[in-house]
Amino acid sequence: MDITLFLQQFLNGLSIGSAYAIFALGYTLIFSILGIINFAHGAIFTLGAYFTYALIGGAFGFSGLLANAALPVQLPFALALILGSTLAGFVGVAVERFAFRPLRRKGSDSLLTVVSSLGVAVVIVNVIQYLVGAESYTFPANIYGNLPASFNFGTVEKPVPIRSIQVVIFCVSVTILTILTYLINRTKYGKAMQAVAEDSTTASLLGINSDRFIVWTFFISSFIAGLAGSLVGSSVSIRPTFGIEFGLKGLAVIVLGGLGSIPGAVLGGFVIGLVEAFVPADYSGYKDAVAFGILFMMLLIRPQGLLGRRFVQKV
Amino acid sequence: MSADQKIDLTANHQILEIKNLSVNYGGIQALQNVDLIVNTGEVVTLIGANGAGKSTTLRAISRLVNPRNGQIYYNGRNITQCAAYQVVGFGIAHSPEGRRVLARQTVIDNLQLGAYIRSNQAKVKADINRQFEIFPRLAERRNQLAGTLSGGEQQMLAIARALMSRPKLLLLDEPSLGLAPAIVREIFSIIQNLRDTGVTILLIEQNATMALNIADRGYVLEAGRIILTGQAAELLNDQRVKSAYLG
Ligand SMILES: Nc1ncnc2c1ncn2[C@@H]1O[C@H](COP(=O)(O)OP(=O)(O)O)[C@@H](O)[C@H]1O
Ligand SMILES: [Mg+2]
Repeated sequence: MDITLFLQQFLNGLSIGSAYAIFALGYTLIFSILGIINFAHGAIFTLGAYFTYALIGGAFGFSGLLANAALPVQLPFALALILGSTLAGFVGVAVERFAFRPLRRKGSDSLLTVVSSLGVAVVIVNVIQYLVGAESYTFPANIYGNLPASFNFGTVEKPVPIRSIQVVIFCVSVTILTILTYLINRTKYGKAMQAVAEDSTTASLLGINSDRFIVWTFFISSFIAGLAGSLVGSSVSIRPTFGIEFGLKGLAVIVLGGLGSIPGAVLGGFVIGLVEAFVPADYSGYKDAVAFGILFMMLLIRPQGLLGRRFVQKV
Repeated sequence: MSADQKIDLTANHQILEIKNLSVNYGGIQALQNVDLIVNTGEVVTLIGANGAGKSTTLRAISRLVNPRNGQIYYNGRNITQCAAYQVVGFGIAHSPEGRRVLARQTVIDNLQLGAYIRSNQAKVKADINRQFEIFPRLAERRNQLAGTLSGGEQQMLAIARALMSRPKLLLLDEPSLGLAPAIVREIFSIIQNLRDTGVTILLIEQNATMALNIADRGYVLEAGRIILTGQAAELLNDQRVKSAYLG
């Protein structure tokens, strides 16, 4: 393979891989604190993208309740991104409050909660469709203001152009990863969150209010899902179902990395992003198959994933 | 009021009062009409066979289980309806059965989480060093994950972690369980020292002889009911206690 082409695919892989990583981190945070995979995560990713699209003043099409509607304001993309992700975070908090907490209070089987989260996912996708239709929307080309369309990571003779949006995705994702890693491993509240994840009964004996940490976990992971959705959505286009594929990819990432492992989610995200990037263009239709092929092999060779603990136990 | 009277008053002050407490687990009645008092400064022990309801009593005080009936007063305040996470803030620390250290966090982090409710980090730091003086084995292992400690070390960590909240009342659930005799002696001498520093202790033990030897008073629990109570010295010489628990 030509070195410039290699470098280009590698950088693209890093970029999408970083988005996989932060998205999968959301699954992981909720899994490690509740022992449950939140299937609404992909739908919140979608919702975040729609919020951001609406906040930059993006117009909605001809079908749906809000046909031809657009907000009177047009926020700059960065601001819309933060606000849209925050709204997604609040939706995550509502999901926890109404779909997770009542079942947890009753001590229901965790399978019920998983089904409940699937239900939420379907509802969110349908509400989006009902409000703004099923067609896809593309973010305007000028949302990045003065940034050039692409950056050259090569030389003048041998250019390696990477789209600006890819660079933005990578920078934002790495920033999020750094902040989260710091919060979780270095602060009192991060350690308290880990305590709730390991043993919520003991955590309560220490004065830690588990419910509060669970709410924050949902807020943070949904905020990140909204952020990833907005960024990825702005690089392709958004449809009510575009989070579903991404959601499945995220599942592959966390199983590959090791369920409940934070470094595992990050590593898994980059591995899948990179592997996909090197799928030859002629076979790009098989990208998802490749990701799940790796996952399948992983499950055969090392069921606990790359960095997972051998036994995932909830007390 | 003279100084002597003051001391006398605090000595009779009820830090904990349990009235008519009943607890069920589904159909199983674990506690029936339990009455229990702990006075400030005392070491009170709760003895009884496996399954008698000792841990359930502590779990009710810490609000980990909801009583079917009865009240729990701490310093005269009814805490029966409080949430579990609030209890440590009142001054009650619970070192639970089975130690329950946070296995995936270091010794220092466990201690720091023991002081979760405290905000003065300088004092917390000083208290961590104080725990390391009381438990030198923990000092050597401060950066080790708690899950890699031996049983005795985990027990020390569980007690030290409970002390990190600076409790007025310490609940200890079977601190000697599964430990070698030398370690058990070490832990009991630490409990005795704690008592001398003025911490009030409610101690659960299967090793009734050792418990009664350091306690002021004791309660004997059988199948969820208090069947006997008295001064520790009396209980040590009680024929029923001797035959059932001191064998
Ligand atoms: N979580 C639980 N669910 C059902 N029954 C329980 C539970 N915990 C304890 N029990 C029962 O309640 C009774 C008292 O238990 P416990 O308080 O743990 O006794 P002890 O600490 O004296 O050994 C026992 O019969 C025990 O089987
Ligand atoms: Mg017990």
